[in-house]
Amino acid sequence: MKKVTVQDQSTVEKVKCHAAAIGVAMKESIYPLTATVQYPRQRKKMPDNFRGYLLFDPEKCINCWECAFICPANAIRMKEAPNKKYYPTVDYGKCIFCHFCIDSCSGGALRTTKIHDVAYKDMDDMVTLTEEMIEPPEIIREDKTLVEYQIDKKDLQIKKTREVDYLFVDEVPPSVEILMVSMCIDGASCIGCHVCEQVCESGAISSAIANGVMRMKIDTDTCTGCGLCVKECSMQILKLVRK
Amino acid sequence: MATETESEWDVKVPDKPLKDKVYFENLKSVVIDTEMCSRCLTCAAVCPGGITVVNNKVDFPDYETKCFDCGACVRVCPRFAYEPKSGLGDHIEFTAGRSKRFSGQDGAMVTELLVSAMEMGMTDRALFAGRDEKWATEMFHARDPEQLAITTLGGTKYTFADVLPALKEAVKFTKSGVGIVGTPCIVSGVRKLQQEYPIFREKVKLVVGLFCTENFHYDDISSYLKAKGVDFSKLVKTDIIKGKFVSTMTDGKVKFKVAEAEAIVASGCNVCTDFTALESDASCGSVGSANGFSTVVVRTEAAKKVMAFIREKGYADFDEGDPAQLGFLIGHKQKRAENIKK
Repeated sequence: MKKVTVQDQSTVEKVKCHAAAIGVAMKESIYPLTATVQYPRQRKKMPDNFRGYLLFDPEKCINCWECAFICPANAIRMKEAPNKKYYPTVDYGKCIFCHFCIDSCSGGALRTTKIHDVAYKDMDDMVTLTEEMIEPPEIIREDKTLVEYQIDKKDLQIKKTREVDYLFVDEVPPSVEILMVSMCIDGASCIGCHVCEQVCESGAISSAIANGVMRMKIDTDTCTGCGLCVKECSMQILKLVRK
Repeated sequence: MATETESEWDVKVPDKPLKDKVYFENLKSVVIDTEMCSRCLTCAAVCPGGITVVNNKVDFPDYETKCFDCGACVRVCPRFAYEPKSGLGDHIEFTAGRSKRFSGQDGAMVTELLVSAMEMGMTDRALFAGRDEKWATEMFHARDPEQLAITTLGGTKYTFADVLPALKEAVKFTKSGVGIVGTPCIVSGVRKLQQEYPIFREKVKLVVGLFCTENFHYDDISSYLKAKGVDFSKLVKTDIIKGKFVSTMTDGKVKFKVAEAEAIVASGCNVCTDFTALESDASCGSVGSANGFSTVVVRTEAAKKVMAFIREKGYADFDEGDPAQLGFLIGHKQKRAENIKK
């Protein structure tokens, strides 16, 4: 067993320590430094890749339905828009905020925000239509202070600053970019329906008829690897491979 | 399936009799409008657009604008460049069998062959034409022998089933192979698909053909049977025995001569000369064997292997078959060759 001994201190040092302790106590009584975030007057600072409320940009959507297919909670439904394209709607009653939809979105049409506090009056309102996803929801900001947790030498520091956080993320670059390209795995089974050519947004697929034979070609340089042709191919003979 | 990938490939472009029209219009003028169409739906199985059945006829609503003009339908249609086949054809074995495990039309050998192929690991799914309470056909993907306990899968329905569109789905999902059963026109369609597209050559492992004299459209046969006093809720089995159409119900039978129903026979059947499904791996039917047995005509090595498996496991009883009994119906269908010229 180790015996703790009182440090040998001079009287001056003792007085200094007492004065410092009284100082901390007085400061705490005026501005208490608690770990609790006093929401909504205070708001925690979220990282840029925080998985929050989704925003949608129809200009960038290529209609691949990948977000709806990948959603593990089945929260995303595709709805037909007046321009005959299908856009996602999110049911926040089901959404588990995994953001697989954002990761799978090859056009970059879906993006995250740091908004996590959206209230609904009933379950039906939780189904967020495409129109409601284009603009951020109306938020009443009461927060004046930004709370930031910082780990400094195993010690948790709570930093509070008098500023209002910007809740929107312009773009989060992916940690690892995997370049994919569409390729044919069974050319002889191709029926030559041109569906791939018609759906390709980047014009990478071309065809030419010569001497009674049609030559289909995928330009691997212009192919963005969005996977639309793979999904639409009626014989399922296209596949995404690593570039 | 081939694992190598390619960024450039060639596709065959078939010839068009009507040069400036889309391929579906060519198919329509050569096959459908001439009443040659057998409604096998091979075209619908490959069509990326919307070939479907409208009023008992193969059709493509708004084909002028919606047809992709790819020519797949023309490439696979067994009646586009029709080569009529008839007779009993080359075969390895002619026998009769009765399954010990399943109950079907006669000896349930079709079910037995497809299930045994699944048990052997040759296929991992088989396509059966089931039926609903009103005796309309609906396709069923069987993936486990136990699923065949569904009694509506066995037995003849005497109406068309959408086998080949279901085959395309099955080919997409299968790992080892697909087993399929169909009338001679469906068998010809499958062979045509296999000839044109490797994906079907690799994935369709067992094709069982049925002996077939003619077939009826569902609307026609159901209203005809109703007029004859058949109650579909009590109907257990339909059969053609010695030229008579027999509907067995829980409380009695309704019989009439098939010749009476001549008017409602599907038009495509009038140009069909193939009774025994000559292009199948194995053909089955009741003609040519004793009561309660099914005739099995084994034609290829694949079917021979399955038959050897059935014998080894003792899944069926076997009996002598009599090819001579088929002679009358083969001759009956051969006469239809005259209709082709018309």
